[in-house]
Amino acid sequence: MQDRKSLFLMTPALAWLTAFMVVPCLLILTLAFFRRGVYGGIEYTFTLENLRLVIDPLYAWIFLKSAWIAGLAALIASVIGYAAAFAIAALPRRNQPLVLFFAILPFWSNYLVRTYAWIVLLNREGLIVGLARGLGYEGELPAMLYTETAVVIGLVYNYLPFVILACYAPLSRLNPEIAEASSDLGASGWTTFRRVILPMSFTGLATGFVFVFVLSIGNFVTPALLGGGQFQMVGNLVYAQFLTANDWPFGAAISMVLIAVMMLFLTLQTFVAERGSGGGLR
Amino acid sequence: MSAFLSVQDLEKRFGTQRAVDGVSLDIRQGEFFALLGASGSGKTTLLRMLAGFEAPSSGRVLLDGQDITALAPNRRPVNLMFQSYALFPHMTVAKNIAYGLEMERLARGEIAARVDEMLAKVQLAHLAGRKPDQLSGGQRQRVALARALVKRPKLLLLDEPLGALDKKLRSEMQLELKRIQHEFGITFIVVTHDQEEALVMADRIAILKDGSLLQCGTPREVYEQPLNRFAAEFIGVMNFIPLIRNGDSLTTMTGAPISTVAPVPNDVQLVAAVRPERLEIGPLRLDTSASESARPDNRLTGTITALAYHGLDLQLHIATDAAPIIARLTADQAESRDLGPGKTVTLSWKAADTKLFPA
Repeated sequence: MQDRKSLFLMTPALAWLTAFMVVPCLLILTLAFFRRGVYGGIEYTFTLENLRLVIDPLYAWIFLKSAWIAGLAALIASVIGYAAAFAIAALPRRNQPLVLFFAILPFWSNYLVRTYAWIVLLNREGLIVGLARGLGYEGELPAMLYTETAVVIGLVYNYLPFVILACYAPLSRLNPEIAEASSDLGASGWTTFRRVILPMSFTGLATGFVFVFVLSIGNFVTPALLGGGQFQMVGNLVYAQFLTANDWPFGAAISMVLIAVMMLFLTLQTFVAERGSGGGLR
Repeated sequence: MSAFLSVQDLEKRFGTQRAVDGVSLDIRQGEFFALLGASGSGKTTLLRMLAGFEAPSSGRVLLDGQDITALAPNRRPVNLMFQSYALFPHMTVAKNIAYGLEMERLARGEIAARVDEMLAKVQLAHLAGRKPDQLSGGQRQRVALARALVKRPKLLLLDEPLGALDKKLRSEMQLELKRIQHEFGITFIVVTHDQEEALVMADRIAILKDGSLLQCGTPREVYEQPLNRFAAEFIGVMNFIPLIRNGDSLTTMTGAPISTVAPVPNDVQLVAAVRPERLEIGPLRLDTSASESARPDNRLTGTITALAYHGLDLQLHIATDAAPIIARLTADQAESRDLGPGKTVTLSWKAADTKLFPA
């Protein structure tokens, strides 16, 4: 009875997702198994050539590079976001919603606008260089815009709110007496953090990390704008195949691998979340 | 002989509010001591200062001759059993108990041996591999106790240790705690708001109100010799009868004389206090010609308004013109005397059982 009721309630969402997401995605992904037409378009003969090409060193390298940048962004965002969430959860309870609201606020503005703002900050005549000059620094300044660093900065900035939200949830529900108990039993502050607080909030951290990683590895706007076309990430590659090279089958093949990588991480994260939900939170 | 734990003029202010207002206590080694008070009495703040989680605004705490006032919680030979138990949810029962010993950097073998020994003592050996959320409330309580005791602290603090348990389990655990305390010989300080719990478990009780110590003594002392009206009211049931002072003699508001052997305080407004079990209930007797010597010291008449059955004994609620009175007698007594609502009865008691307090 209960099952039927929930099935009934889930039907609209399931129907929507199936019709407008699963089906189109499957259609695109099946393209990966066909040959590219001579003048673009698709020639409907079965081939595994596209998938083989993905693991060609040239493209595999782009995958690795993307994973490295996404991983770095996820790592930095996790550290900064966890610290921020920790600080917010330690505030008096009545002040927390407001501070959290401000932490999330940039999220409600347009992604492109926010990314362009970083161009203003990072370029050769930008605010950061201006500030350094204003403070009397005359020496050489490294190029900041159109570098890998700029891309990582952009990704961290854009996805930080995810980490803060994901980490805040378990941290704010932590019973403060549990940390006190650890201290009472002889643990230092650091040991209490490492052995009690971190394990109890690890699911949030893992969720935040995976979110940033998955969103970053497929991102093509930030690498294009802040990377200045200096290097390609997987997202840019897919973009180019579909819109520039007109090679849909190869684009579909890259997407398929990308989705597989993302699924792997999301599954891992779900696994961690399942294991970590052992209670103890208020 | 100097005290094992000496709390000297301890004070804790939060802003302008004095949560603990100059409390001094001396507690002996191996004593089971109860801090009794209503919520907001400062008992938990006092306990947290002993554990090191609150820094006193002034005053000192000496434990076994050592000044521990400024010592951090993780450096005190004191352990606290939290009201919420505060078990580590991601660790098994055995890991929870081992945690405190790991912090002392003991050898693996010794930790394992002491954890096993402790698991056996609190009868949890079969649950060693469980996580806290797979345990019942009573089992969790025992894990929390074991986790604190395994450190062999000089002093164990327990914050409402039985508060989360149901009534039946609570009375079992009251005796269990006393047994364990006796077995380990560790000094226990229990915070509770439950006067019955304090009377049953403690060797001595300190009654706190608004951050101040009202009275400290054995259960019998605080029950039989309350120092003030609040202590009398807080421990057990007490009847209060407002008095009028006529020179040296005292009467009720309606003129019935009240005699007492207690010294009469100088306050203008006084109340007489008498415990329910000290009252004699008799039939209404119209003849007052009985010889002087057979007359009880104090006598009131009233009408029974309600009977509350408590198993072995019975609480009789009686309306008198001096004050509403609660009397206690056995169910058998009540039955043989045919007492019931609406009946008019005589209440009498001895002068020696009459206390006097400022109103």
